[in-house]
Amino acid sequence: MRRLGRLGLRRRVTVAFASGALLVAAVLSAVTYELSRTYLLRQRESSATRQAFVNAGFVRDRLQQGQMDVAPILESLGTTEDSRSFVRVRGQWYATTVADAADVLPENVRAVVADGSAVSRMYETAAGPRFTIGVPIRAVDAHYFEVFSLDELERTLRILTSSLVAAAAVAVLAGAALGHRVSGRVLQPLDDVATAAAEISAGRLDTRLPTAEGELGVVATSFNAMVAALQQRIARDARFASDVSHELRSPLTTLSTSLSVLEARRDELTQPSRQALDLLRAEVGRFQTLVADLLEISRHDAELDDSVLSLISLDELVLHSIPRERLPDIALDLSAGPDRALVMGDKRRLQRVVRNLTDNADRHGGGTVRVGVVRDGDEVRLEVDDAGAGVAAAERDRIFERFARGLHARSGDDGGTGLGLSLVAEHARVHHGRVWIEDRPGGGARFIFALPAARE
Amino acid sequence: MALTLLVIEDDDRIRTSLSQAFQDEGYTTRSAATGEEALGLFERQPADVVLVDLMLPGIDGFECVRRLRQVSNTHIVVVSARADAFDVVAALEAGADDYVTKPFEVKEIAARIRALLRRARMADTRPASTAITGNLEVRADEGLVLVDGEPVHLTPTEFHLLTELTAVPGRVLSRETLLERVWGYGYFGDERLVDVHVRRLRTKIESDPANPAVILTVRGLGYKVQPS
Repeated sequence: MRRLGRLGLRRRVTVAFASGALLVAAVLSAVTYELSRTYLLRQRESSATRQAFVNAGFVRDRLQQGQMDVAPILESLGTTEDSRSFVRVRGQWYATTVADAADVLPENVRAVVADGSAVSRMYETAAGPRFTIGVPIRAVDAHYFEVFSLDELERTLRILTSSLVAAAAVAVLAGAALGHRVSGRVLQPLDDVATAAAEISAGRLDTRLPTAEGELGVVATSFNAMVAALQQRIARDARFASDVSHELRSPLTTLSTSLSVLEARRDELTQPSRQALDLLRAEVGRFQTLVADLLEISRHDAELDDSVLSLISLDELVLHSIPRERLPDIALDLSAGPDRALVMGDKRRLQRVVRNLTDNADRHGGGTVRVGVVRDGDEVRLEVDDAGAGVAAAERDRIFERFARGLHARSGDDGGTGLGLSLVAEHARVHHGRVWIEDRPGGGARFIFALPAARE
Repeated sequence: MALTLLVIEDDDRIRTSLSQAFQDEGYTTRSAATGEEALGLFERQPADVVLVDLMLPGIDGFECVRRLRQVSNTHIVVVSARADAFDVVAALEAGADDYVTKPFEVKEIAARIRALLRRARMADTRPASTAITGNLEVRADEGLVLVDGEPVHLTPTEFHLLTELTAVPGRVLSRETLLERVWGYGYFGDERLVDVHVRRLRTKIESDPANPAVILTVRGLGYKVQPS
C-alpha cells in the first residue's frame, strides 16, 4: 500500500512536470513559428516586389527604346529560378514560360492591373503557394506580371516546424525526467520515515530519523519524539514486570524453603496434609517457573551480550537438555552431524528453547515424539514434533505471543506458565534466528527453531 | 561431627527457613542478618560453609566475601539476585566459590555444597605427587603450592583447579571438563566460574598476571599448564 501510494504521488508529479513542459514548449513553438513565418514572408515579399519593379522598369526602358521584339527582352531579365515573368503588350502575351498567362495569372490580378493599378497577391495553387505582382507600364501601354513560387519558403517553414516539434518533445521528456527526479528527492524523507517505521516495528527501537531544517525537520523531530516516548513506555513496562518479579523472589524462596522443611517431615503428616503439601509443591514450582520466565522476558529488552555467546553444537545441547529418562520415548534425529550443527549462541538460553519446546509438546501436543537437529543451507534447525492435533494455520503466529493460552486446539489448564513459547520466540529473535510451525508428516505439529549456522 | 553452615541473609523469613532446611540436611547452622554480625560470629567460631546474600544492609555481600576470604579458606556460596548480571562475576572475583540465584531450591544449594566438599575430601586422599612447572611447585598431597620456594595461599577451589591442570601438563582442559571436575557441574554449568577462578589463580601464582606464563588460555578450547 505504502509503495503504491508513493509511486502514485511520484507519477503525478512527473506527469505534472511533463504537462507543464509541453504547455510552455507549445506556446513558445507557436509564437516562434508565427514570428518566423511572418518575418520570412515579409522578406520574401519585399525582395520579390523589388525584383518585379526592377524588371518592369527594364521592360519599359526597352520598349521605349523601340525594341519591338519582346521575347529577347524577357530573356535578358534578371529573373530567378523560382519566378516567371509575363508581359502583355498591345493585347499580346509574352512569357518566360510556355504556360498560358491566362492559366497562371489569377483573374483578379489581371483585372486590377488592367484598371491601371499595381497589385501584389498571395494565393494557393495546386502546385503550391504563389506570390504574384502585377505592374501596369503606362508609358508603353503594357502590363508586367511576375509570379513567384513560395515553395522554398514553404520548405523552410516545414523544417522549422519539425525542429520546433522535436524541441517540444525533448522539453516534455526533460520535464518528465526533472519531475521524476525532483519528486524522488522531495519524497526521500517520506521514504526514510517509512523505512524507520518498518525498522521500529521490527523491534529496533533505537532507530531515529536524521533531523534537518525546515518542514521535514519538524516531521523528523516529532517522529523521533514519538519513538522515544514509545521506547520509554516499553522500557517502563518491562521494568515493571522485572521489578514485580524481583519482589516475588524473596517470598518464593521462603515458600520453597519452608516446603522442603515440611517435605522432610512428610512421614509425620496425615494423609490430607500430604495431599495439601503435594499441591503446594506443584503450585510453588509453577510459580517459580513463572517468575523465572518473567525475569527472562524482562531481561530480553537488552540484546544478547557478546560475553555469553559461545560456539555450541545443537546436537550436544539437545542430548544434554533432554532428561535421560525421556530418551526412550523420543526419536532423536541428529542428521546434521555435530560439525554441521554449530551455532553461536547462549547455551543457557538455547537450553531453555529445547526445554520449552519439548514442554509445550508434552503439555499441549500429546507428547514429544521426535526431536531433530538438521542442517538446511545456512541454517541449523531444531525440530520438535508432537503427536497432537496440530496447530491451526490462523493460530500459528498468535501462539508465540505472551499468555496466548486458551487457544481452542491446545487449551486446558496444564500447569504451564503461558510464557514458554513467547520466550522461544524472543530467544530466536536475539539469536538472529526464527521459529515457526509446520504440520508434522503423519499428523501433529512440528515446531522449528532455526539459527544461522556458525561459519566452520 | 556435623559440618557448620553460616547463613548471612537479611530477610528474616528466608533466614529462618534456610536454617531449618539445612538442619534437616544435617548441618549445624548459625545465622546473621548483617555482614558485620556475620564477620563477628565467624571470627569467634569459623564455619565450614558460608551462604551469603549479596544484597545486605551495611557492608554488602561482596565486601563480606572479601573479608571472609582474607581470614579463611572456608567454602563460600553467594546468593545472587540475577544470573546474568555483573554481580556474579564480581562476587566470584571477591573470592566466592560458587553461586546460586533466587528463587532457588534448598536441594540445589545442598548439592552445590556437597560437590565442593567432596572435592575437598578427595584432596586429602590424593597420592603424594609433586608437579613442578617453572618456578611453581604443587605438592598435591600436602595441599601446598610454592612459588619461588615461598608458600602461596590458595582457597580449596583454586587449589583443586590448579592441581587438575598441573596433573596433565601441556594438555588442554576445556572449561566444561574443569567445571565438572572442580565444581561437579555438567554441560550447563556457568563457564564464568572457571574463567574467574583462573583469573584469581593467576594473580596469585603468575609473576605478570596480564601475561601469564604458567596457566595459558587456549582460545576456543580451554586452559593448559605450560610443561616445564
